[in-house]
Amino acid sequence: MYTKDEENFIILSSVEEISDAVKRALVFKCADTERQDIEKFLIKTLSYGVYNTVKEKLSDGAYRSRILSGLEKRGITCVACFSESYPDILRHIDRPPLLLYCKGNVSLLKTNCFAVVGSRKSTANALALCRKISSELTAAFTVVSGIADGADTAALSGALLSGKAISVTASGFDNIYPSVNVSLAREISEKGLLVSEYPPHMRASKYNFPVRNRIIAGLSKGVLVASAGEKSGALITAECASEYGRDVFAFPYSPHIASGAGCNSLIKNGAYLTENILDIFSAFGLDLKRRGNCTELSALEKAVLGEISKTDGVLLSAVADSLGKQTYEIIPVLTALEIKGLAVRLGGNRYGAV
Amino acid sequence: MLSKVASFALNGLEGVPVEVETDINKGMVSYDLVGLPDTAVKESKERVTSAIKNSRFLFPVNKITINLAPADIKKEGSQYDLPLAVSILIASGQLDCKTDFVFLGELALDGSLRPVTGILPVLISARNKGFKKFVIPYSNANEASYIEGTEVYALKNLADAVSFLKGEGCFQPVTHRSFVAKRAETSYNCDMSLVRGQRTAKRALEIAVAGGHNILLAGPPGTGKTMLARCIPTIMPDMTFDEALEVTKIHSVAGELNDEGIVTLRPFRTPHHTATAVSLCGGGSRRILPGEISKADRGVLFLDELPEYTRHALEALRQPLEDKVITVTRSGAAVTFPADFILCASMNPCPCGNYGSSYSECSCTPAQIRKYRSKISGPLLDRIDLHVEVDGVRYEELAGESNEESSSAVKARVERARSIQRERFLEDSISVNAGMGERQIKKYCRLSAECEMILKNAFENLHLSARARSRIIKVARTIADLAFSESIQPEHILEAVSYRSADLK
Repeated sequence: MYTKDEENFIILSSVEEISDAVKRALVFKCADTERQDIEKFLIKTLSYGVYNTVKEKLSDGAYRSRILSGLEKRGITCVACFSESYPDILRHIDRPPLLLYCKGNVSLLKTNCFAVVGSRKSTANALALCRKISSELTAAFTVVSGIADGADTAALSGALLSGKAISVTASGFDNIYPSVNVSLAREISEKGLLVSEYPPHMRASKYNFPVRNRIIAGLSKGVLVASAGEKSGALITAECASEYGRDVFAFPYSPHIASGAGCNSLIKNGAYLTENILDIFSAFGLDLKRRGNCTELSALEKAVLGEISKTDGVLLSAVADSLGKQTYEIIPVLTALEIKGLAVRLGGNRYGAV
Repeated sequence: MLSKVASFALNGLEGVPVEVETDINKGMVSYDLVGLPDTAVKESKERVTSAIKNSRFLFPVNKITINLAPADIKKEGSQYDLPLAVSILIASGQLDCKTDFVFLGELALDGSLRPVTGILPVLISARNKGFKKFVIPYSNANEASYIEGTEVYALKNLADAVSFLKGEGCFQPVTHRSFVAKRAETSYNCDMSLVRGQRTAKRALEIAVAGGHNILLAGPPGTGKTMLARCIPTIMPDMTFDEALEVTKIHSVAGELNDEGIVTLRPFRTPHHTATAVSLCGGGSRRILPGEISKADRGVLFLDELPEYTRHALEALRQPLEDKVITVTRSGAAVTFPADFILCASMNPCPCGNYGSSYSECSCTPAQIRKYRSKISGPLLDRIDLHVEVDGVRYEELAGESNEESSSAVKARVERARSIQRERFLEDSISVNAGMGERQIKKYCRLSAECEMILKNAFENLHLSARARSRIIKVARTIADLAFSESIQPEHILEAVSYRSADLK
């Protein structure tokens, strides 16, 4: 199923002795030179010992089949930067990934993507909104994110409802980080697509995360930052995005919420202020009716929803007071709204509208 | 000369008859005490000697052999001082009587009688075994006064005991007191009306008590979790005489009875989080003593800062939470204590304590919060039906004069709900909804199609664990009982769903 070139490149990529720069140079030579030239190039750039290893490995049938069958056993498909299924949008960024290890629905790579990223520490209502917007985004986009706790998880779980979700990991698939999201990663590989630049055995290291973020931004037409502290990794993604000429969107935050400081500064610098899905769709000139709210609500449910929409985090007993009801009459209503995805618990018996 | 006097040993909450046999013979002066006495019993020799002497009797200077029969069970504690002294006095001919009294009491060196623990359980099991007449220390009189069908003489010292046995002087048996009069005086230090705000938590407490459910309160520090927990006994139905007797027995064995003589208030136990599994469940190297969970019998066991307890201690609670009794087994014996309590636990929502708080921001990462919450094992959480958040509002923030419901009003509702449950479970061995097993849930908690639908949606959209299902249904049954509803309505299911564990997904 791989072409000869792809297969050679997969084997070459598995040789850790060759630096990324050499591989990169090699790929661009591959495109328009003869095989002999590649050999010459390798001799020129690699030390004698390394050259011998590479040559040995390339011609060693056992090694080749071990690598290839190892990938196949894990259900991993490799997409090289010169392959057919490699997304064009990603080719045009600075230092595009040479080989993508993919697990799941590879065709998602060439769809229109939109990144939703954010901080691990996020407020509960930001997470709920993030999940909701992500599921709404799938009407027009495939949602791309990392796989961290917090906003990433919320975005992916929202998008997974329709299976249009891509998670780009900063480690190999054998070492999903954080480990609590291993089951989420499995779900993504079944319904959506799991992508990594790193071979399966690679462990996560803190240097890989910013490098990975360029892929998230590169794949996408726009980036929504759902939450970001002052030094959040999500800001790196946003920076890459604006470098690549993608639109940046951010949730607005009240000034005293630490997990929103980064978002607010993005907005100050020109990011789209995003309150709902329409803010994103209108930026792309998409005319899509807002979904949701189609479920029928009782009068009391509407009243309660009105109350919790007023400010951020309304105390349950305050809702009851202003509607002149007992707490135990309001609790079932709020739970019903929660089940319908219109309300969210913020901890401490506070509720917010989504 | 030989004498025999009756006394009692205590095994758990059961009294075992012990006969004190004294034989005084001519021969080398000696004092031999046999029949597996422990140190406290062996040391009784010195107390008995002095007490006899200081009560102006003569301690026989002969070969004294004392046997505590049956010889194969261990005798512990100080309650044998009095029977030993009486038996020596009879054997030495200073007291001439045949007595069918049971003697219990510790002697001071001057001959006065000191109180002993476990009088109530001894009296009850002795009465059931056919013993009717007792001589006990004066300080234990209150404890004995609630037992019918006994003739108890509470005496102040050994000299009194002797003159009583000789038929001299005028001694009245302890007058019997009724429990009802005592109960009327019952009062707790707290009341629901003293807790401002926190209506969600109060409602949850009402449900917990009405259905006998265990409850977990989560909330930032300083929001009144402990105060709320202290209110639980105040809304529980009054103790019946049998319940009070059971509780008093346990407290009597533990030596924690106050002067009242009977426990009328529902116990509220707050073991510190350094408590060991043994201190919670009961045990001990000598006599097996009841632990905190038994002392909380018919009341509330409050575990503040639940994640701080050792895992070992918490896991030990699982079986008693299920069975409502605990059997403590040691190499020598196995003792069963009742442990029918409502577990109320409290915890912070996250390590820093500020998650969901109105006044400071939480600084914990999701991973930290998960780690903190995972300290409590799933099986234990499964036994806690209600997971409730308290309002993240500081006490002072709450508006001044609001009209809060008093405990007695809540109690009235609870009692009504309990009577519905008693009727429902007439044929079953349980008395509250929390005790329902799968079979009873099927029988008494039929869900309409609408309710089933709501439950299904809740599970899908709120990521509930499958194990939560029976918990939610049981709680919904109690909510329906509080609302006098024959069947479980959608709003009852919805409210029950809101008391699930707040997970982070």
